[in-house]
Parts: sequence; C-alpha cells; structure tokens
Amino acid sequence: MKLLEYKSQELFYDYNIPSNKGLVIDSLEDLEDTLQDDEPVRGNDITAKIENYPVVVKAQVQTGGRGKAGGIQFAENAEEVKEISRNLLGSEIKGLEIKKLLVVDMIDVKKEWYLSVTLDRKSKTPLLIFSTEGGVDIEETAHQTPEKIAKIPINPMMGIKDYMIRYLVNYFNIDPKYLKPLYEIVKNLYTLFKEYDCLLTEINPLVIDGEGNLLAVDGKIDIDDNSLFRHDDILKFRDELTEDAKVIEAREYDFLYIPIRDEGNIGVISNGSGMIMSSIDLITKKGMEVSCALDLGGGATAERVKEAIKIVLENEDVELLLINIFGGITRCDEIARGLEMAADAVGDKKVIIRVEGTNKEAGLEIIHNMKDTVISVDSILEGVDALYEHFSG
Amino acid sequence: MSILVDENTRLIVQGITGREGKFHAEQMLEYGANVVAGVTPGKGGQEVLGVPVYDTVAEAVEKHDANATVLFVPPRFTKEGAFEAMDAGLKLVITIAEGVPVHDMLEVYHHSKKYGATVIGPNSFGVISPGKSKAGFMAHRIFSPGKVAVLSRSATNCYETVFMMSNRGIGQSTAIGIGGDMVPGSPFVEMLPLLEEDPETEAIVLIGEIGGSDEEIAAEYIKENVSKAVVALIAGKNAPKDTSMGHAGAIVAPDGTGSAENKEKVLKEAGAYIAESTEGIVDILEEIL
Repeated sequence: MKLLEYKSQELFYDYNIPSNKGLVIDSLEDLEDTLQDDEPVRGNDITAKIENYPVVVKAQVQTGGRGKAGGIQFAENAEEVKEISRNLLGSEIKGLEIKKLLVVDMIDVKKEWYLSVTLDRKSKTPLLIFSTEGGVDIEETAHQTPEKIAKIPINPMMGIKDYMIRYLVNYFNIDPKYLKPLYEIVKNLYTLFKEYDCLLTEINPLVIDGEGNLLAVDGKIDIDDNSLFRHDDILKFRDELTEDAKVIEAREYDFLYIPIRDEGNIGVISNGSGMIMSSIDLITKKGMEVSCALDLGGGATAERVKEAIKIVLENEDVELLLINIFGGITRCDEIARGLEMAADAVGDKKVIIRVEGTNKEAGLEIIHNMKDTVISVDSILEGVDALYEHFSG
Repeated sequence: MSILVDENTRLIVQGITGREGKFHAEQMLEYGANVVAGVTPGKGGQEVLGVPVYDTVAEAVEKHDANATVLFVPPRFTKEGAFEAMDAGLKLVITIAEGVPVHDMLEVYHHSKKYGATVIGPNSFGVISPGKSKAGFMAHRIFSPGKVAVLSRSATNCYETVFMMSNRGIGQSTAIGIGGDMVPGSPFVEMLPLLEEDPETEAIVLIGEIGGSDEEIAAEYIKENVSKAVVALIAGKNAPKDTSMGHAGAIVAPDGTGSAENKEKVLKEAGAYIAESTEGIVDILEEIL
C-alpha cells in the first residue's frame, strides 16, 4: 500500500521528522475556511494554515511525473492558490482523479540529500540508504555514481546505532554539526518503518534550508498490505484512494483482481497466484494479450465463482475468458456450476475452461452440457492453443 | 532418506482445534503422518481425532518427544506460534498461513538462525515426502514416491508439475513449499545443501517466480556446489512491473530487480535447465533421468 505524499508527511510529523509546513485541501470550501482561519500555526503540522507566500500546490495522485503533467504549481497569493485549486481539484492526471491537494511553503534549498529505509529482500534485513546527492532519481545515482550512495544493513534485533551515522558523516565529509539532527531523523524514520510495517520509508529530498535546518520535503511510504489489520488509520486511508473499481469490487468478495495490459482482450480466472502467472506467461508467449486476471483463492463456491466471472466480463475489453483450475480444496463441480449460473453475464462470449483435480468428473459433466461457446480443454497448453485458434481465425 | 519430513517425524499441529487445523490434521493422519500432539491455548486436556491437545508447545514436546511442528494458525498469530515452537526446542517449524506481516517474518527469520531452527513458509503448502509423511495442506493424492525433489514458491504451479510427473511415472523424494511471501523462513539456497546430500534425490525441480533475489542466490550456490541436475521454471515473465501478482513476494521492483529474465539467465549460467511451462519441466525430467 503506497501512501500519498500528504499521508507520508502526516506520519513524518507524528514521528518528529521535521518537514515543511503545509496543509491538505480536499474542497474549495475547505480552502476558503483555511485562508480565513486565524488559528495559530502548529509547527510542521500539515493541517496548519498558509502563512507565507509563495507556496507550492501539489496534486495528490499515485503516479510518477505529476510535475510534468501540471500537478505541481506555484502560487504568489491566496487568489492564485484558489485559482490553481479550482483547476486541479476533480481533474485527472494519467486517468487518476485529483481528490486532494497539498499546499506547502517554498523552501530555500541549500542542499539536497537522500535518505531511506527499505526492506532488502536479498539480505532479509532493513537497509539504510543515504546519499548527499538527493532530489534526483536514486536509481540513476546508483547506476552512474555508486560511490555516492551508502547502504547500511540494519540488524532488526539491534536497530539504528549512532556509529552508523558517524560512519555516514565521515564517509561523505559532512559538517559534524549535522551529526545529531541526522541521527534523530534516521532513528525516527526507522521507528516509523518498524511500527508501521513499512516496506519503504523514503525522504527525497532531505533538504538543508537557508537556516541550516534539515527538512523532509518529499516522502514516500509503502506499507505491507499483510499488516493492515493492525493499522486502522491506513485502512481508512485506502478507502479514500482512487482505485480501479474492479479491484475494490473483487476485494469485497475476497478475490484479487489484477489489471494486466490496456491493450489486452483476454480475461484469466484461476485459483492461485502461481497458476495466474503461468497462464499469462503462456498466453503472452503465443503473441496474445491478457487484459486482466482474477485469483479465486482456495475453495470458491459456485455462488462466488459466478460473481468472479461477472466481475471479469464486466470489463468491456475482455472478449474471451480463460478459466484454469487445479482443484485441491477448490472443487471442479463448484466451478462448473458457477459458470452455469453466470450464463447471462457470459452471453455469447467464448469461454475456454480447464478443470483438473477434486470432483473433475462431476465438473466436466456440467460443462459438457453447456452451449458450444464453452470449450473444455484438458491442460493449460491446450487452453492456450484454443485461444490462439480463436484469434487466428 | 528424503529430507525434513519422514517416518521418524513426530509432528505437532499448532491450532489443531480450529477448522483448518482439524481438517488437515485428519488428512495428515490418513496419509500416515505421525501426528503425536496438538496445541491450542486454552484447549489443553481435550482430544481431537484421538490426538491429545495441550495448552503449550513445551508440554507437547516434553510428553511426546515431538521433533517438528506445523502451524495452522491465523497469519497474525504465526510469529508468536513460531517463537513458541522454537523456544520449546523444535528445530523444524512449518508455517502455512497466507498474509503474515513481513516484519513478523523478519523477526522469525533472524531468530531461527539463532535457535538453529529451520522455518518453512509461510504462505506455503508445507512439506511432503511421498509415501512417508506430510506436514501441510497439499493435495497428497497427486504425489508419488520417487527421486526428484521439488522446491516451489507457488502451490498451484507445484501441483500442476507434480500431477504430470506422477502421471508420467516420475516420483518425488520431497516437495517443499518455500512459500510466496517476501521473506521465506527458508529460501531455496538453504534447502539445496540438504538435497545435494540426500542419496534418494537424483534431480531437483526449482519453481521460482518474479520478485526478490532468492533464485539468483540459489543460482550462485548451484554453480559451485550442486552436482545434481536442476530444472527451473520462473513464473511471472509477463506480469506488469510494480504490481503484486497475488503472492506478496511476486512483484518486480520499479528498477527491474526481481525480473524473470535475470533469474532465468543466472540459473542457466549456473547449469540449470530452464523450462518454459510446468509441462516443460516434466519433458526435461523425462529426457535427463
């Protein structure tokens, strides 16, 4: 679960990581209220009010390149903030609706550093990454000048120790007066990383401003989906996101719906992540394109199978459906009955279905009595051949 | 021989009184696994399927000389359950649940090294040595005893492969569900030395998928240390980047780390046979055995 910038900034605030002042707007009325509000400013609380101009208005959407798409604009006064907000709120960037804006102070940037804690799957530890070359794509720096990046694996039993920061300060020849504030920020960022079950907490850039303060000016946080049961605030945040309606609908039935390719025209339903991937691989290898995939998980009943088929076929790009089932706890007869129950949604669309495993014979009996646009195959390879035949005439 | 689980395994089922735990304990017993005890806090003194239930793992270990455990507990309790088992001295801990927070697994992983314990999973079907014993929820009817070991991050791709192997007369020594999460208790590389030494294993099937670097690490090991034939399949070649494909671990990073191309390349360089499909694995096995 990737957080939007404003949510990351809120968490930075909660964890005493200094960031630039700002406020979040989700409606024009909200903005009016804020501009007229005489409440005092609360530190770097991002619910604070605008105090100094110019400010930066940033669209809160989950995509890269929003600056180029006009999602980051500068305002000299309250009128300009209103004007920009009116234009941005409710409009779209790369198909994503802008529901919120973050308005922040312009910062007098003297230096830009990079700081992150990420979960390194290779070493199976959190990894502290720091560079004095911030504000740019860290992958680019890693590629061009790897010596300008320091990576420190953190033993999860031990956490952050101050010698790690001393090492950074020495290695990069940083003014020792930053030792303490940098240590505080790293320590707090790591605490946030652990307590919020993060896969990534990134500050880029970590700015030194004109007064010599360290400020987190832009942040990225990615939280482990498997941990959301213990983070109610993040679950609430997820509900506010602009997400694919199909993903949300599928989630209500405990299915996973994955959009694959915009230009695809095949829908894939299967009962396991591995089989989904294998099916997509084999279809793509034959030069065909998958539009979306749905994972039923284990033990789907006929009723739920019907819903799954409906969800996939409601996607207008899907011309053809491939159902690939290897039944353990999933029963082939339940799958077949589900397909029968979804007859209205299926209509005249061609369905290629392969069932193997528990109650295969009972399932096949049902399938063989269906109309001839439902094609039963005996393996995934046969299924892919049937798809190929359909498209090649 | 075979590895990890066999006729000498004296198994505990943690969570045996739950719906899943009970169902699969029955399946395991039916398969001939020696399930000596169950553990459910607060249910000590009961019996399930003729198996005595205890409140703590320590008690179950002490009374029944158990040497392995399989956890049918919800994801949020997997960490506690694994710690309890390791603390009770068990050296083989098999975790099943899908949805265990990865930070929990980081702790379990690092603690297991300290305890000298082997943790399998989570998000895994468990371990089966066909004809001997099983600990997990795999559909055991499709397995058959033989000389090919199977390591898989995916349950369904493993089933597909094993089903065709068995149909074509190629049995399995041991099949291990490495699991589909970001941090498995035992990545491929930790299983390879055991399989290299196992006299009953003649060849190794490695079913990997996109995400992480565990296949690359395995390839390095295979190159130097594995003399047996390795047949590998990497699933997810055509998955979109930066999108989780269902398994929490099956995601290619925006910078390309975890791509199928790289995994196939290094495994090939390490001398592994690369299959294009589950059926392809069986074709290759038929040819080389």
